[in-house]
Amino acid sequence: MTATLERPATGAPAARARTRAQRRAGHRVPRWLAIPAVVSLLITGLYPAAAGLALALTDSSLARPLRGFVGFDNFVAAAESVAFGGSLVRSALFAVFATALAVVAGTAGALALQARGGRFGLLGAVLLLPMVTPPVSVGVAWKLLLAPVGGGLTGLWDALGVSGFNPLGSGVGAFATLVVTHAWQWAPLVLLLVYAALLGVPAELWEAAALDGAGWWRTLRSVVAPVVAPTVLAAAVLQLVIAFKVFDLVAVVTAGGPGVSTIVASFEVFRTAFRGSFEVGTAAAETIVLGLLVGVVLGAAGLVTRHTRGDA
Amino acid sequence: MRAAASRAVLAVAALLAIAPVVFLVSLSLRGVDDVQNGGWLPERVRWDNWPAAFQTVPLAQMLANSWVVALGATLLTALVAVPTAYVTARAGRSGKRLHSALLAAYCAPPIVAVLPLYFLLKSVGLTNSVVGLALVNGLANVPVAVWLLDGFVRRVPAEVEEAAWVDGLSVAAGLRRVVLPLIVPGLVAASLVCFFLAYNEFLFAVSFAQSPSAQTLTVGLSLFQGDRTVQFGQQAAASLVAIVPVYVLAVLAQRALVGGLSQGAVR
Amino acid sequence: MPSPVLSRRLLLRSALGAGAVVGLGPLLAACGDGGSTTALPAGETADLTGATIRAMVNQPHVLAFTELLAPAFEREFGGRLETTAVPYDQLTSQQILDVQGGAGQFDVFDYFYFGLGALVDAGALVDLTDQLAAVDTSDFLRSVYDAYTLLDGRRYGVPFDGDVHVLYYNREVFETYGLEPPRTWDEYDAAARTITERSGGSVYGAVVEGQQVPMILGCSFINRLAGYGGSLLGPDGAPALTSDAAHAALQHLVDVAPYALPTPLQIGFDQANSAFLSGQAAMLDTWTDLGLKAQDPASSQIVDKWGVVPLPVGGSNTEHRTALNAGFGLGVSTAAADPAQAAAFVLWATDRTRNLLLASTAGAGIDPARRSTLESPEYAAATAPATEVIRQALTGSPLVWPKDTDAPRLLQDLVDQLALAISGAQTPQQSLANAQASWERALT
Repeated sequence: MTATLERPATGAPAARARTRAQRRAGHRVPRWLAIPAVVSLLITGLYPAAAGLALALTDSSLARPLRGFVGFDNFVAAAESVAFGGSLVRSALFAVFATALAVVAGTAGALALQARGGRFGLLGAVLLLPMVTPPVSVGVAWKLLLAPVGGGLTGLWDALGVSGFNPLGSGVGAFATLVVTHAWQWAPLVLLLVYAALLGVPAELWEAAALDGAGWWRTLRSVVAPVVAPTVLAAAVLQLVIAFKVFDLVAVVTAGGPGVSTIVASFEVFRTAFRGSFEVGTAAAETIVLGLLVGVVLGAAGLVTRHTRGDA
Repeated sequence: MRAAASRAVLAVAALLAIAPVVFLVSLSLRGVDDVQNGGWLPERVRWDNWPAAFQTVPLAQMLANSWVVALGATLLTALVAVPTAYVTARAGRSGKRLHSALLAAYCAPPIVAVLPLYFLLKSVGLTNSVVGLALVNGLANVPVAVWLLDGFVRRVPAEVEEAAWVDGLSVAAGLRRVVLPLIVPGLVAASLVCFFLAYNEFLFAVSFAQSPSAQTLTVGLSLFQGDRTVQFGQQAAASLVAIVPVYVLAVLAQRALVGGLSQGAVR
Repeated sequence: MPSPVLSRRLLLRSALGAGAVVGLGPLLAACGDGGSTTALPAGETADLTGATIRAMVNQPHVLAFTELLAPAFEREFGGRLETTAVPYDQLTSQQILDVQGGAGQFDVFDYFYFGLGALVDAGALVDLTDQLAAVDTSDFLRSVYDAYTLLDGRRYGVPFDGDVHVLYYNREVFETYGLEPPRTWDEYDAAARTITERSGGSVYGAVVEGQQVPMILGCSFINRLAGYGGSLLGPDGAPALTSDAAHAALQHLVDVAPYALPTPLQIGFDQANSAFLSGQAAMLDTWTDLGLKAQDPASSQIVDKWGVVPLPVGGSNTEHRTALNAGFGLGVSTAAADPAQAAAFVLWATDRTRNLLLASTAGAGIDPARRSTLESPEYAAATAPATEVIRQALTGSPLVWPKDTDAPRLLQDLVDQLALAISGAQTPQQSLANAQASWERALT
């Protein structure tokens, strides 16, 4: 059963559009429907943001917050810290790579699932499992699998001729491991969304392309991509946000190590506020800077999305 | 040929998806000295990790807490997200602004936000309670649910709504009686995703719950990490206690999940 | 044209207004709280009959509280001890949060001594100076009594768990390669290298814990520093991180890293302990409770095949010296329901009988804090063969970690620099110079 592909208001003759608009005019969306959202935004958005700003501009420790106005001292302290500046770069890199990997893997999985035909079924449910596993358990399992001495995968490394392979022992390796593990955990969400979108491609389009003798890749580009692209882009945006906020995984698998190589910005904020020191003011300053960074990256992603949609 | 290639890809993917959990099962049957034996199978199978895990941390209580928090949070998210998605989908420019505001609120990691939220919960007496946790998780996941539901509401044909208005229903009543039944599949899917998010959430759980009466499984799992000689076998057993019920839920709901999402491509 | 549901002005106005009210209200209210630590006057010891005491304890201590103290408390007073365990890396921050946030869910805190400054700054611990002045405290070990309780001339708790490091080694492996347990850190490095190279990778000479948190990498560094007779702060309180002892200590870490279990910077307690207990690594410097686990056939493959010696020495220092790595006191929360009762409990839980009981019971993980416990034959029987080593350690002058308000951040800064040196990103000299500069900036 195909869902209608055209949006309600596009392509309608002018007369119908006018009547529709007139009909809508009499039935505005009532304001009070937005109240739950506004309350939610106040509690989870504005209030923490205002508090964060207050903490960032004052001498605040976990023991005694808001001790006195200090202007931008906390921002300076954040800039001077060993790990923070680099952590912003690491967060951005992590988000981009993990998103790319999750999107590619999820899309490939969805395509493979669709090509195999049949229902989503048990196989599909198995593919969903990583998304459902708590990050703490994921972290412990991977850490023990990858341990260089006595880890679960040492047999595999020996068989492949790379015995002693220790990805978690080097900075780059640990970073890559975290990227892969995060993508492993979130690819199922992408797979789910893309698969659902693929179901919306009418069967006739597949058949027509096959009749025309189009190869698999060609079919993909001209038939599937236009339909699925918006979904893939939207999934990518959500993945970007989730990847910027990654924290449990880093804390359990590498605790930011070795050295500072996997200290991403959210983990650095956590260290500053609750672990290494109790400097909440500096942590709040770091959060503000991180929020700005995420905003910039999302803005860029939004531009790309609008640009692509404009072309399609 | 294509079918064979895709089967191969799927087989590898399924293997990768399940490998760590299979390893956890193997770990749960090993003693501390056996944990790093370099293989997938225990050298000596031991069953005592399972009962021991329940002794080391109050696992049964935490399991109950996790489910209560996740269910409560999902309910709250659904209650807030449905009218909100209607606004973002149907209210033109202001709807889009609301959508952007929600996404913006979801952007920053909530680490420092823990402090003001802690004070807020304390001022209404909801620290160290599953109700407080459900509240915070429920509100925190609203942007995700709205993001997922927005597309579904847009898919509801305008004619259907207009027919209801012609019949004399107000917009809000139309939402409840006409639009809502049409987006139920999407709502189920979004609710399931939010359930998983709330169930696996760690930061809020560890910050707002101090005693076993309110602590969830993610906190319990971290307690194993907090010991100097980590009982990996017990931790693996506890992980499986956390994972298996949710897996069962995911498997049972997979049809609703896919069906729901397929009825409205997310834009 | 339909008017917009949410005009931008409405949104902004309501947001700012509500945000200002809702946002700063509770925070400002909290500012007023967290008051000064009021001293508990010495009076009659409160009656503990039928009391309920809620304690926040370190996760590794949970057995000591639930299986030893709680039944004893019930037997003697008919009272209830409610224990909540917190992972060691969250302990101090959870205690601060409990009092600062106003939840006040606990009466007694099992606290890290180097978090003392932060806890007192948060107004989380009751001043017990007068209470302690009224009881006999001569039995407490001098090495720990001031270190664990004294801050700015006042006392905020009672020593509970001694906590020192000793060096464990795998006797079987050492005999195979004809080695003696090391007396100096140079010998330690040599032994590690010999074993790793000659065993062809089947056994590693040592496991060095280098995960980048003070409790892990900090301990590894400080054990070497203590061996060289150094300290983190000089006698005048100025940082001493560029001393010869500090340079030597860091150099040892850098030198032994290639021969230790791969790779130090990623290894924490979990992997280190299981590597030693399964015989994959032949040396480990850690707390005294590892010995008990090593003798437990359920978790160890090296039963009766291990030994323990004091931490190695180095440089011009020839007397064995350890460090107070971790170390706990029991304190009374300022939010306690009945502070006098909680203080009475704290004094009871740390008295001679209790300290002996906890220190001599396998699995409790408690070191002696009292001389009577350390010298008792019961304790000796329970901790052989490590008893002499522990006695030597606790009656010497172990290195004490800084514990003022800034201490957590300073220690984290130091550990970050150490990790950079070990990973090769920076020379040891540069790392210590950076750490010294950062400490000087903070402590002046």
